[in-house]
Parts: sequence; structure tokens; C-alpha cells
Amino acid sequence: MIELKNVSKFFRTKKGKKYILKDMTLTLPSHHNIGILGRNGTGKSTIMRMLGQIEFPDRGSITSDKSFSWPLGLSGGFVGNMTGKANVKFVCRLYGKTEQEIKETIQFVKEFSELDDYFDMPIKTYSSGMKSRLSFGLSLSFDFDYLLIDETLSVGDAKFRKKSKKALLKKIETCNVLLVSHDMGTLRDICDVGIVVHNGKIRYFEDIDKAINEYVAINKQ
Amino acid sequence: MKKRNSFKIFLSVQNALFLRELSMRFSSGRMGMFWTFFEPFFQILIFVLIKMMLFSSGQGNFDFAVFLALNFTAFNMFKNIVVKSIASFKANKALFLYKQVKPIDTVIARTLVEIFITAIIILIFIFLGLYFNFDMNVKDLTMVTLGFSVLIVFSFSFGLFLAVLNVFVDSIGKLIGFFITALMFTSAVFYSMEALPLELQNILHYNPLANFIEMIHGFYFFELDDSFVSYEYILLWTLSLLYTGLWLYIKLEKRIISS
Repeated sequence: MIELKNVSKFFRTKKGKKYILKDMTLTLPSHHNIGILGRNGTGKSTIMRMLGQIEFPDRGSITSDKSFSWPLGLSGGFVGNMTGKANVKFVCRLYGKTEQEIKETIQFVKEFSELDDYFDMPIKTYSSGMKSRLSFGLSLSFDFDYLLIDETLSVGDAKFRKKSKKALLKKIETCNVLLVSHDMGTLRDICDVGIVVHNGKIRYFEDIDKAINEYVAINKQ
Repeated sequence: MKKRNSFKIFLSVQNALFLRELSMRFSSGRMGMFWTFFEPFFQILIFVLIKMMLFSSGQGNFDFAVFLALNFTAFNMFKNIVVKSIASFKANKALFLYKQVKPIDTVIARTLVEIFITAIIILIFIFLGLYFNFDMNVKDLTMVTLGFSVLIVFSFSFGLFLAVLNVFVDSIGKLIGFFITALMFTSAVFYSMEALPLELQNILHYNPLANFIEMIHGFYFFELDDSFVSYEYILLWTLSLLYTGLWLYIKLEKRIISS
């Protein structure tokens, strides 16, 4: 369960405050895979980060007793001049894994991400697709309550996309996702409920198809 | 995911950050390891040579090289903790994606790394001193250690304070270079206070760092004492910086994370 209470979030621009959320109160029920929809620039990613508690509302509060992954996106939160392997080690240590578990994770991520020699090269030599492969593979070896996924599934080549989608479908048997995507097919396959972000409000739909219809309607305006 | 208590989380974050900082310090292409450990020796060598050329007889009868080594170790520790802390929020921004990494963790980790490096440098100095038969007797080891310990808290607090400011005020990082150089000349690093004229002493005793260094070498050498040092003044500075730094940090933590 994720509870939003009177949440406001805005960015200051030269033309005044631009609201992403305005005095929003909402409860998102547990055990659902939530798709986040909205037009470009409405603040989907920001909202996802706020739900994952690494960004904070300007007013109000967001509370949850669940654990969240880091946002799996294009940048991935890695350190450029360390190797892929060193970054994997670092994240494992952050989450308190033992040396034995770290070894297993490294083995798993290396195989899953198919980075081969690049795995032992600095992250700054990676393409954005390679970074998100590493980030996604790594996230699979933790047991979060929620995975935060920001468009990651749409990068990489067709073969890897298929593989990661399959891995994700298996993963969500034991955890849930918050997924930002513009790909309706992916949203339908993975999510069962949806929220639509529009004009500083979030609308919650118990059926992802209804959320998609709403999104399509907004786009026609 | 199984719940961990916040102290355990803090420990694993520190463990991860510490090892990462260390490997970054030593793996950097510009001979990172070499300069970290040899810079202090060059400093001391240069100043000993200058001293030998300019003044034939030394001040007191303690060993000037040991005196410099001690002062520079303390001063460099202060300088490195402050300088590394200031940059740590900006340098570690990418890590705030991980919920358990709080900005202050990066300052703590960098401070710990500097303490670790200082400890190694001290060990190297001791080995060299023993090998070359320097007189390294300590008058009061407990008080010297205490001096170093309070200096660590002082440096951390000052570093944290400036790190927070540096997020919102751009020029802090650039000004600090001048500031540190000015401090080096006014902090009793090359001299002890009693060797200075009274007018100068009266000004310099407002410099908290001069008090620290005087305290440390005052308790190290039998020939020197701590008559110049004001402990109230040291504590006043340390505690008020610690308080202000933490207060500012707590107020602005969320803005630092999303800056």
C-alpha cells in the first residue's frame, strides 16, 4: 500500500510554479502491478521517483511500508569510472549482501546482461542500452516489493528485449512493479492496474485497459 | 525484502562507500597511490631544506623534521577532510538514486577514508623515523591522540557545513583553495607560537586551527607546552560548527538529494 496525503509537487520555472501534483490524496492498494501513464512532461518519472521515496513532495507526505528498487532507467545510477563488475559489487554491499552472495550475483548479472568483456570495463565506455541491461540484470537479484521501471524495457536489441520481458514476467510472480511506459502492449502484458497523470492530478484505474482508454482520450484533446 | 534496522543499513552503506572511495583514490590514472603517500614527504623535505638554508640554528633543541611531520600530518588531514567533503555531494549525486544512501553518508565515508590514509602516513613516518634514528619520544600520547580526535570532529563539521553551502552557492569550491593556503601560513605549522612576536600571537590565537596544532605539538615535544591553547575556544568552534553543519544539513537534506 502506498499512501499519498495532500501531496503537492512543483518545479519553479521563470513563469512561476509548474505543478506536477496539486493537493493529491490517494491510496494505491498492494499486490498490483501499476502502470503509470501520461503525456510527455507531465511528471510520470518524477511521480515514480516520489513513490519510491528518492524524491520528495513539496507539501504533504507519501508513506509506504514496502521496499522499492532504485529506478531502472537509462542512466542506472552507476559510477562512470568504475567497471561494471565493481559497480555490481558496490550495489550488493549497499544492500548488505554477504561476500558469497556477491559472488553469485556477479556471476548471474554477467550472464544475464551479456556484456562479456565490457563487464570488466569502465561504465563510461557503455552505451545507454548496455547500462540499462546491467541495471536490469542487477535488480533481478534483489527481492524488492516493488521494482521501479522507467522505460527500460524499450531499449536494447529485439533479442534482449524479449529476454528481459520474459525475466520480468517471471520476477513479478514474487514482486510488483511500477512501470512508466509509452508502449501500450508492454503495459497490458505486465500491469493490471494503472494511474494516469494529467493536469496535476493522478487518476487511479482498477483495470489497465481503462487507464489506457483514458490516456488515449487525453491524447486526442 | 527482509527488513534491516537502520544501524545495519548505515553500516553496509558505509562499508560500500568506503571501499568505493578507496578504490577510486588509488585507481585513478594520475599515479593516485603514489601522490597520496608521497606528497607529505615532499612537503617536509622542501621545508626542512629551506629551514637549513635560511636559519642555521633551529628553534629549541627538538628535531625540526619530526616537528614538521607532525604538524603537516595534522594539517593535511584537516585540509583533505574539508576539501573532499565539500565536493562529495556533487560527486556522489548518482548514488542518491539508492534510497539508503543519504548525502551525509558520503561525507562520513570520505572522512573515514582520510582518517585511514592519515593513519597509514603516520605509520610510514614512524618506520622512517625509527630507521633513520630520529628522536620521536612523545611527552603525552593521550593528549596528542585527543587533539587529533577533536580535530577530526572539527574538520568533519567544517566540511559538512561547506558541503551544504556548496550545493547552493557556486563559488565555495573555488574560494576554499585560497582559504586553505592562508590557513597553512597562520596555523603554527612551520613554527610554534612561542617563537612569534606577541602582537602576532594575539592575532593568530583567533585561528582555531592554530590552537589545534599548538595543542598537538605542545603535548608531543618535551620542549613545548600548551600555554597558548584555549580549550574553551577549540570546543566552542568544534561544537558550534558541528551543530550548524548538522542543522543546515537536516533542513536541506531533501533539497540536496533532488538538487
